Amino acid sequence: MGLSAAPPAPSVVEPVPGNRGIWVGIFCVLVEFLLLFCVYFIAKAHHPAAFATGPDKLASSAGVAITLLLLTSGYCMVKALETIRRDERRRTFAWVVAALLLGLGYPGVKFFEIRWNVAHGIDGAAGIFYTVYYYLTLNHLVHVSWGLLGLCWVAARTALGVYSARDYSGLEAAAMYWHSTDVLWLILFPFFYVLR
Amino acid sequence: MTLTSPPGRAEKVWLLLVALTLAGAWLAETGQPGWPLTLVVAALIAVKGRLVIDRYMGITRAHPRIRRILHGFVTLVPLLVIFSHGWGNLLQRLTTLH
Repeated sequence: MGLSAAPPAPSVVEPVPGNRGIWVGIFCVLVEFLLLFCVYFIAKAHHPAAFATGPDKLASSAGVAITLLLLTSGYCMVKALETIRRDERRRTFAWVVAALLLGLGYPGVKFFEIRWNVAHGIDGAAGIFYTVYYYLTLNHLVHVSWGLLGLCWVAARTALGVYSARDYSGLEAAAMYWHSTDVLWLILFPFFYVLR
Repeated sequence: MTLTSPPGRAEKVWLLLVALTLAGAWLAETGQPGWPLTLVVAALIAVKGRLVIDRYMGITRAHPRIRRILHGFVTLVPLLVIFSHGWGNLLQRLTTLH
């Protein structure tokens, strides 16, 4: 019989970065944007000429600036997690604030980009490419705004000394959400400024 | 980043992401419609997405289900980019209401 068989190996428990709740939120956002990407692909399939020429009129410098701001802000959150793991709370606070300030550059650039667009006749009714562009990028801006509110929250809690090397799951959860908005922008940027 | 990231790794990843972004910016100014641009963009999405997921988020040591979903996401989207370019007519037919 198999009574002498070795007991089953314990299942390897790997950590859930942050907390389970934030991953439910992140996966919902990924599903939402996958559907929005389908809108982009279907619109492009039906109007290839509009999508081939559409990016020419957009200010690609704005897209590049947003990408660099988000990547650098994300880097600051990486450093924030590194420092809190060493229990360097003051440095952690500085990194979170840096991430927040860089992240706030996103809506700032977006404001000037939209103002520039409108001055050049590029509004939501300028054609199917621009309708999809506003639909997806403004949707992303909404999610980034939630991320910025999250960064405000964890900055305040870091200042209050809530996080330590023993417990920083809230800070890590905010970082995970922030990075996920970064991943989505890395897809949106080539869709509207590069691909033709 | 993983808990045991060697010093300077975050900086190297950030520099690589910036370099890839600037490459994308160059493509935005000079790229012409066609397969080369489509394939390069698909590769950029896949590489940058994996860098953020694996190095920024430190997902390589996370639960396999989380890892598979995130890796699947940044693999699926580039494949959709390629599909929509190469098989746009098919996609158009499939999504036309008769």
